[in-house]
Amino acid sequence: MPIFKTPFNGYSVKFSPFYEDRIAVATAQNFGILGNGRIHVLALPPSPGAPFPEIAAFDTADGVYDLAWSESHDSLLVAAVADGSVKLYDSSLPAASNPLRSLQEHTREVQSVDYNPTRRDSFLSAAWDDTIKLWTVDRPASVRTFKEHAYCVYAAAWNPRHADVFASASGDCTVRVWDVREPGSTMIIPAHEFEILSLDWNKYDDCVLATASVDKSIRVWDVRSYRAPVAVLNGHGYAVRKVRFSPHRGSLMASCSYDMTVCLWDYMVEDSLVGRYDHHTEFAVGVDMSVLVEGLLASTGWDELVYVWQHGTDPRAP
Amino acid sequence: MAAGTDDKPQESGTESAKPTNEAPQNAAADDVKSSSTPSVFVNSEPIREEQVQNAVKFLSHPKVQGSPVIYRRSFLERKGLTKEEIDEAFRRVPDPAPSAQPANVSPDPQLKSSANIQPQSSAQALQPAATATAPAGVISSVVTMTQPRFRWIHAAYAVGFLAVSGAGTAVLLKNAVIPRFKSWIRKVISDEESDVLKKTNAGPSLEEETAAAAKAAAAAAADVAKASQEMLNSKVEERRYFGELVKLLDVQLQEMKSMSTSIRKLEGHANTSGALSQFNHEDHGGLLTTSKPYANGRAEVDSRPVRSSSPPTSSEPSAAPHPKSYMEIMAMVQRGERPPNVKDINDAPPNPHQQIPNPRLAPRAKPWEADQTQNNPSNVFQYQSSAEAWNYNAQDNGIIDQSNGDPSAPWWQRKNVRITEIDRDEDLKTGAFGSRTSDQTVQRAWVPPQPPPIAMPEAAEAIRRPKLAAQKEQSSEETASRSSDGIDELQKVMKFSESGGAENTSEMSSGMNSSGSGMNSSEIQVEQE
Repeated sequence: MPIFKTPFNGYSVKFSPFYEDRIAVATAQNFGILGNGRIHVLALPPSPGAPFPEIAAFDTADGVYDLAWSESHDSLLVAAVADGSVKLYDSSLPAASNPLRSLQEHTREVQSVDYNPTRRDSFLSAAWDDTIKLWTVDRPASVRTFKEHAYCVYAAAWNPRHADVFASASGDCTVRVWDVREPGSTMIIPAHEFEILSLDWNKYDDCVLATASVDKSIRVWDVRSYRAPVAVLNGHGYAVRKVRFSPHRGSLMASCSYDMTVCLWDYMVEDSLVGRYDHHTEFAVGVDMSVLVEGLLASTGWDELVYVWQHGTDPRAP
Repeated sequence: MAAGTDDKPQESGTESAKPTNEAPQNAAADDVKSSSTPSVFVNSEPIREEQVQNAVKFLSHPKVQGSPVIYRRSFLERKGLTKEEIDEAFRRVPDPAPSAQPANVSPDPQLKSSANIQPQSSAQALQPAATATAPAGVISSVVTMTQPRFRWIHAAYAVGFLAVSGAGTAVLLKNAVIPRFKSWIRKVISDEESDVLKKTNAGPSLEEETAAAAKAAAAAAADVAKASQEMLNSKVEERRYFGELVKLLDVQLQEMKSMSTSIRKLEGHANTSGALSQFNHEDHGGLLTTSKPYANGRAEVDSRPVRSSSPPTSSEPSAAPHPKSYMEIMAMVQRGERPPNVKDINDAPPNPHQQIPNPRLAPRAKPWEADQTQNNPSNVFQYQSSAEAWNYNAQDNGIIDQSNGDPSAPWWQRKNVRITEIDRDEDLKTGAFGSRTSDQTVQRAWVPPQPPPIAMPEAAEAIRRPKLAAQKEQSSEETASRSSDGIDELQKVMKFSESGGAENTSEMSSGMNSSGSGMNSSEIQVEQE
């Protein structure tokens, strides 16, 4: 399985929704504390042992914490930057013409960006200034700002079936479900006793979402009966940094954690842990499952490595 | 924050207070999908009076009223209150002047002793110090939303005020007492001298003078005594507050020590060394463990739907050990240094008005969107064939050598490795979950069930009639009483058909057009009643 070495510490990796063999990696220097950042757009090598061809690389003044591929343009990327800006890049243009846009409205680090998979024209940014902002690619300013959380918002995710619904996870230990047509949040789920670092919607059940928290657990919630979780998945040794539902199987999800592992879970099964990979030697911070290729996983971490492998294979195998 | 508290969510909250889990909402009728509608993403529970009363008690607490509104709201949200309940509680609390300052002088029994001190500047300096320490002392023990920064800053302020007040009193008294003392001594001495001189002059006047001198001396001594007494009092007070503060800090210290010992134990297993980090959420989560007075208030988890994968480990988060170089960089940054490898990069857009290029490829359907109707076992093969198509079409992929000889299976698309085959074959207790064989990958979208044939025509008739009455009320917000009035006869019908299962009636109504949605909701209401 190919391995890519990034010069900076990895923060996020995303598969392109247009090309099966394309990924983008967000990295930040000095663990993201203080330093530059870089975005890599890579293609999967023709054979597992070959190196990754790099299609593009973009340097930023501050670390890049997350990125999202556009669902409407095959080469457009949105980057969440630690200086509070959201930047648009076009990987088909040379680095000198990039970024296309730099949207500076957040007052603190932007932790997460998510592109709307149904409307395909808008995206969200979640930042440590307790707000989430809604943007469209053609507008220079945000369309809306959602300010209700009492602490940093760590993640925002669009509902895969309802174009106007999204959820946000925050350090104030709550998950909020929003509807862009409503002025405020429509639902507040006190999902964990500790900070919630990530969340994702089930692609096949639009009322189910999973949250990952500092308390080392992943909880699966049904918004129709949100008082108690549908499932509590324990097994990680430290805080769970990211959780992603599989685009191909309804109850399967991947998670990465500060215990340096990437785990696969199936919350409908008695023993939910269906896979565990401990290929990273530092915090595993980014994980993604390909929408176009079933079973293809990618992960990155602070050990400055990016792995791409098929579920069931050894990511470190040559 | 202010944007969130609006009337609109209030309305939508009460509208969907009729539990309408599946009935499409009349207001958002533009959502054509027959399956779950936006109303699913709204709190559909009615306001729980008990929770509201608890919240009112919490909000009426004087300590709480000194805290910012957003922390009060956040606390209530974490206790599981809905937005409507929180708004209701805020409405009920007789809200005095909302002050955002954390340390207001409040008539607190703890502070009455400080109020007794005479209004010297030292006492005034004490009062803000006392109020700073008292909230600091109380916050950790009483339910509040705790931010560690909150507490530490208050502790720092308290220490600062104490020091300043101590220094101030020392200086003042030094300036006041000592000159007085000196002048008193001088007076005595001069009196003695004058006495010596005037001794021969007049007896009674001498006595008078000595008496006066003695009185003055006594008065001065009394003054000095009083002043020193006051100083002592204030010092005692200060010491007491300081002692409390130190106790709190000790508690904090102990907890941090216990955390670090547990981490050291863990580090014994790990290779990395490194002390407790200060970074972001690991620590924030860690510090939250020290202040969980409200943990027991967490909603009980219904054991039935919850499935744990393995015996739950301790849910207390311990901070993960950070790499050594991470600690170095943190230390450097905290000292204010810039790490040497950071470059100045200009990442501004070179042309902010550059046109966004037109998309070259059409967006591809998502795997979950493709199966609106039926499971499609050929999905997998579709991807493979489409992959081939992309391999030929995509110009930008020229980098990839397509001539790997096997266009149907690039190395990352190996389909022989199925997720179901991994190690867990024996665990596939899939009887309940049906098709694990080939493609159960997609759950079907919810298709509304066909309405059953009408078994009881009278029931159908009765249902249809109150529908007209209910329809009028749908434009305005329906309340429980009003809708139930309109369907009294329906209640009788419901009892008949209850044997057929509540589903039947709901199905029958769902089979009707969307205006029956109000009917559906009121039916369910009736059932609940």
